[in-house]
Amino acid sequence: MSDDIKADKVMDLKGLPCPMPVVKISKGIKEVAVGQVVEAVTSDPGALADFPAWAKTSGNEIMKTEQEGKITRFFIRRVK
Amino acid sequence: MDDTTRDELLRLFESKLKRAAKLYLETCSRCGVCVSACHVYASMPQAKYIAAYRAEIVRRIYKRYFTKKGRFWKSLGESKELSELALSELYEAAYSCTGCRRCMVFCPFGIDTQLIMSIAKLLLIGAHAEPEILSLLADTSVAKGESLEIFREGFLESIKTLENEVVERWRVEAGQTPIPVDQKGADLLYVALAGAHSIVPAAVVFNAAKENWTLSFFEAVNFGAFVGDPVKTRQILDRIVNEARRLGVKEVVICECGTAFRVMKSMAKNEPFKVSSITEVHARYIREGRIKLRKNTLEGTVTYHDPCQLARNGGVMDEPRFILRALTDDFAEMSPDPVMNWCCGGGGGLVAMGEDTLDFRMKSASVKADQVKKTGAKILATACENCHTQLSNLNDHYQMGVDVRFLSSMVADALE
Repeated sequence: MSDDIKADKVMDLKGLPCPMPVVKISKGIKEVAVGQVVEAVTSDPGALADFPAWAKTSGNEIMKTEQEGKITRFFIRRVK
Repeated sequence: MDDTTRDELLRLFESKLKRAAKLYLETCSRCGVCVSACHVYASMPQAKYIAAYRAEIVRRIYKRYFTKKGRFWKSLGESKELSELALSELYEAAYSCTGCRRCMVFCPFGIDTQLIMSIAKLLLIGAHAEPEILSLLADTSVAKGESLEIFREGFLESIKTLENEVVERWRVEAGQTPIPVDQKGADLLYVALAGAHSIVPAAVVFNAAKENWTLSFFEAVNFGAFVGDPVKTRQILDRIVNEARRLGVKEVVICECGTAFRVMKSMAKNEPFKVSSITEVHARYIREGRIKLRKNTLEGTVTYHDPCQLARNGGVMDEPRFILRALTDDFAEMSPDPVMNWCCGGGGGLVAMGEDTLDFRMKSASVKADQVKKTGAKILATACENCHTQLSNLNDHYQMGVDVRFLSSMVADALE
């Protein structure tokens, strides 16, 4: 949990098969209002490549990425 | 539909009219042999799920716009206007077909319904009517190829977190990197998926076999192929092809992802490297004595699901059986001929569309569940991520009572 960013929705995407983390975050981001933040928790090593590319493609903003061992947390602001 | 849109869609249609496509569109005699071939029809017997019916929607649009009879006497014959209604029919046809090509095996003319459905998918893309998530996944893959420097360091750091897990299972020589990445001079480039389960067991087996290997920065799966976009399919493929060329590897090995293997195998024929599936590589290691497996440690009968893109469409059928015979004496086939194995029902992008397709995927694959149950197996092995997800869903839905496992993990777990 980041101290400086408050998430409006938390999504546990750990251990999901390919390509479910990206599929689920694509749906999940639409369930918050523009400007709100989703915290996505992943365990896939590939997520560190997938999520920035997804954010660029979908037009959303990754505000912060926290890595702790095998767990990565993305704080994503819905932009549009 | 306005004339400009229709003209654009017909231009896309024409771009697909190579010799094979024309042959398939002009050949069907409606003999009906394909009726029993499709797992969707076998599970839900409705005419719209017959392979020839699906193809007929595309075929009639072809007859209307690309034959003299259709152009000059459109009211005669069996032609179909390209309209919004036609697009909705094309959607249902294309996204109820998994591209398994079982119907092609039955068809006396060898008509490739998957190829005809690729025309339908391209028209849907042109009309912006394709499943949005599949295009987004394809665009994400393309974006990764364009911005390697952005994620390079994070990816390398993330891979480092898996190294202990690899070493715990197979000790490496002093100074050897358990999961090498970006190694020039490696013989083999391994292309995995995003999850650790696709990387760790493979790394363990490569190290046990003393392979000179390196891991790709990119994921193997080609979402461009799922959505039927030839341009994105090429772009996604080229990320890996360019990486393989840059590193100078002799072999590109695709993880347990059927579509990734089929696309790479069929589109990288003229590259200076060989394309193999990890299943073929594991069989080779066993055959050459580079790895040894403990036999008969698995509890209960084992059966194997042939991923359509790996087996029927990729020719990899003997190798998984060779591996399974090295693992157990208690192996049961689902079908006397692997070519006739039923599709799991998750291909063609259906699994990637997630919960939106879950109900259809379960109903349309009841024959697969029956096939698995009849073996009496306790372990259901497969060699494709997509199939593994779908089979796990079927296992829950139909209470099949099996342990769905990746073949590569079974190999890694049995290393002597």
